[in-house]
Amino acid sequence: MENLLNFFTEIGKLKKMPRRGWVIRNVKNPESIAEHTFRVTIMAWFLGDKKNSNFNIEKIIKMALIHDLCEVYAGDITPYDSILTKDNKKLQQLVKTWPRFSEKKKKKLVEQKYKKEKEGLDKLIKNLSPDLKNEVKSLWLDYESGSSKEGRFFKQTDRIESFLQAMEYWEKDKTVPQKPWWDQARELFDDPILLNLVEKMGEKFYKKKKPKI
Amino acid sequence: MEEKKFYLTKQKLKELEQEHESLVVFERSKTIGEEAPKVLESEDLNPEFLSFQEDMSFLRSRITELKNILGNYELIKNPSKQNQNIVGLGAMVLVNVDGEKDEFLITGTLEANPSLGKISNESPVGKALMGHKVGDEVVVSSPIKTIYKVKKIKYLSS
Repeated sequence: MENLLNFFTEIGKLKKMPRRGWVIRNVKNPESIAEHTFRVTIMAWFLGDKKNSNFNIEKIIKMALIHDLCEVYAGDITPYDSILTKDNKKLQQLVKTWPRFSEKKKKKLVEQKYKKEKEGLDKLIKNLSPDLKNEVKSLWLDYESGSSKEGRFFKQTDRIESFLQAMEYWEKDKTVPQKPWWDQARELFDDPILLNLVEKMGEKFYKKKKPKI
Repeated sequence: MEEKKFYLTKQKLKELEQEHESLVVFERSKTIGEEAPKVLESEDLNPEFLSFQEDMSFLRSRITELKNILGNYELIKNPSKQNQNIVGLGAMVLVNVDGEKDEFLITGTLEANPSLGKISNESPVGKALMGHKVGDEVVVSSPIKTIYKVKKIKYLSS
């Protein structure tokens, strides 16, 4: 029980950890990692429910709940990290576009992120019972590699939750960039249910005003 | 059961066949109460493996998924020489996006990994690039416009 209590205390830190993607975009009072997890879990459940009967809803809900636990120790890594600058003006210019890297650099960034997060997760779950440890680890590995249909679907749902949040921030503050999200979405999403949701999001949020590029 | 067709590279097909074979052996050994072969417990061999050891429903659902893929796949083959100037499945496409270079490998949905530049032929950009040639400008416009200029097309094993 003590090990479980320690684990609960550690993951509780995610309630206060702001998501770095919003911090670098100067969003005021950005959501925490735990707040993102809350909504993406509901989204994964309800959207996953629209898939066929072979889709394992319990698995995707658990995957959603654990997918960012590694960030307790690994921190929230963003695609912009390797090109960040301390000059805020330049930084705000930078986040207006989706970062493009060479094939070699993409591979390096993916490997670095994977290694850091895997180490973070291993440290976090090391004192859990073997059953729980195995389940959390394998769900995370599935999410990371997209080896099952649930893993592939959740990876896209995870980005959609952030995209939805980006639109909600933009609704309040028109300086929050939208184009990088669209560029990412149109290269990343291929699930018809999720593409339909993205279309509806665009219709809802840009009804009165379209974002400037 | 999904009737979807899965487009696979030779390498991916081999990986999936191996995984299927390993899981079937593992399931059998679990069912008859034998210890699973140690080699199958490596997380590098199969990321989902650890949970399968305790959860037979996860194991069976993965075997069903693999069976479905292996029964409904089509191998990605390079097009004929005269069509290798056209973007299709398996093409490595060098593009210019908003003044920046990027490179995409057009894959089927199972092998897509946009962080590594592998984009699905079913994604809006993958779909839009298909059928285009060097010099074409592919516009993805709804609701925010982005132009992909095709600079080079290469088929990897050609």
